[in-house]
Amino acid sequence: MPPVPHLGDAVNDYHDTWLVIPVYNEEQVIADVVEQALKVFPNIVCVNDGSSDNSAERILGTGAHLVRHPVNLGQGAALQTGLSYALSQPGAEYFVTFDADGQHQTDDAEKLVALLREDAADVVLGSRFIEQSDQVPLLKRIVLRTAATISPTARRLKLTDSHNGLRGLNRKAASRLRITMNGMAHASEIVGILARSDLRVAEIPVDILYTEYSRAKGQSLLNGVNILFDISLRERGGR
Amino acid sequence: MKGTLLIQLILLLGAGMMLVLFIRRWDAAHTRAWKRIAFFVFVVANVFAVLRPGDVTWVAHQLGVGRGTDLVLYLLVVAVSFFALNTYMRFRSLEKKVTDLARTVALRDAELLNRERLGASAGVSSTS
Repeated sequence: MPPVPHLGDAVNDYHDTWLVIPVYNEEQVIADVVEQALKVFPNIVCVNDGSSDNSAERILGTGAHLVRHPVNLGQGAALQTGLSYALSQPGAEYFVTFDADGQHQTDDAEKLVALLREDAADVVLGSRFIEQSDQVPLLKRIVLRTAATISPTARRLKLTDSHNGLRGLNRKAASRLRITMNGMAHASEIVGILARSDLRVAEIPVDILYTEYSRAKGQSLLNGVNILFDISLRERGGR
Repeated sequence: MKGTLLIQLILLLGAGMMLVLFIRRWDAAHTRAWKRIAFFVFVVANVFAVLRPGDVTWVAHQLGVGRGTDLVLYLLVVAVSFFALNTYMRFRSLEKKVTDLARTVALRDAELLNRERLGASAGVSSTS
């Protein structure tokens, strides 16, 4: 009789899961973030997006795969490159996008993968707002809420947070995704692609660690203007 | 009165055409041909306007515009927006090409690098 796989083992085996981390000038924290994540997820690909600091060297010191953009292209492009790389790896079934600045937690990533494994959804997005999360600074909360509310696609999917970097995708969803917005507008673009597709999308609450570091590195609110501009032009049909 | 409508019609048509060009696929060969024809007409009209300013005023009157200069200004606004749009689209298309190129290079590079470093996952073919 073949041995019956023990459920507990299966749950903690993440050999079919790839963490995709876009990296741009994160030399201070990237090695720690990767080492921390490697304890749970054996497969990690870091896409160094033409950093001008020593991020690449720091990643080389870890056990993560490294993909180097020869020039800086933007976070959206780095995500797409990382997904393409992970998709080409044998046995890759689940994909999680993860931020390099240490604000995401592997516990949450595990929750995303668990949902994907149950086949409850093709895409699981992390949200900062499903539960009352006080750790999001007030001003940021207002801006992100507004972004989710005015975006027609986010409303259609009933999303509460369209700009969270923590996302889980199964193979079907990951190979469908074609991110063309190189800059920060890719978050809205991804939501748009999902809304137009027949993929099943779910949202779960995640905890974000707003450290001093991530606060300093985080997107400025002014950048929201750039995102709105890119998206509005795109939705006029400019391809 | 009728003339005023005519110039409005022409300018609105120009704006409409730009919108259509914007929405449709940009690099199609016939779009490029039309752009060249438009440019040619633009140059001929320029030469004409320089040599015979009086005639421009006459045309302007026919279209319901007070002065020839005003007509030239209106058409210039349309032309400039067209060029701005064209440049923007060209940049977008270039950016996409650079991205595809950089991604291909990065993925090929990474395969070798990571095979050497981590040993695992040999024989991976990269397709993007």
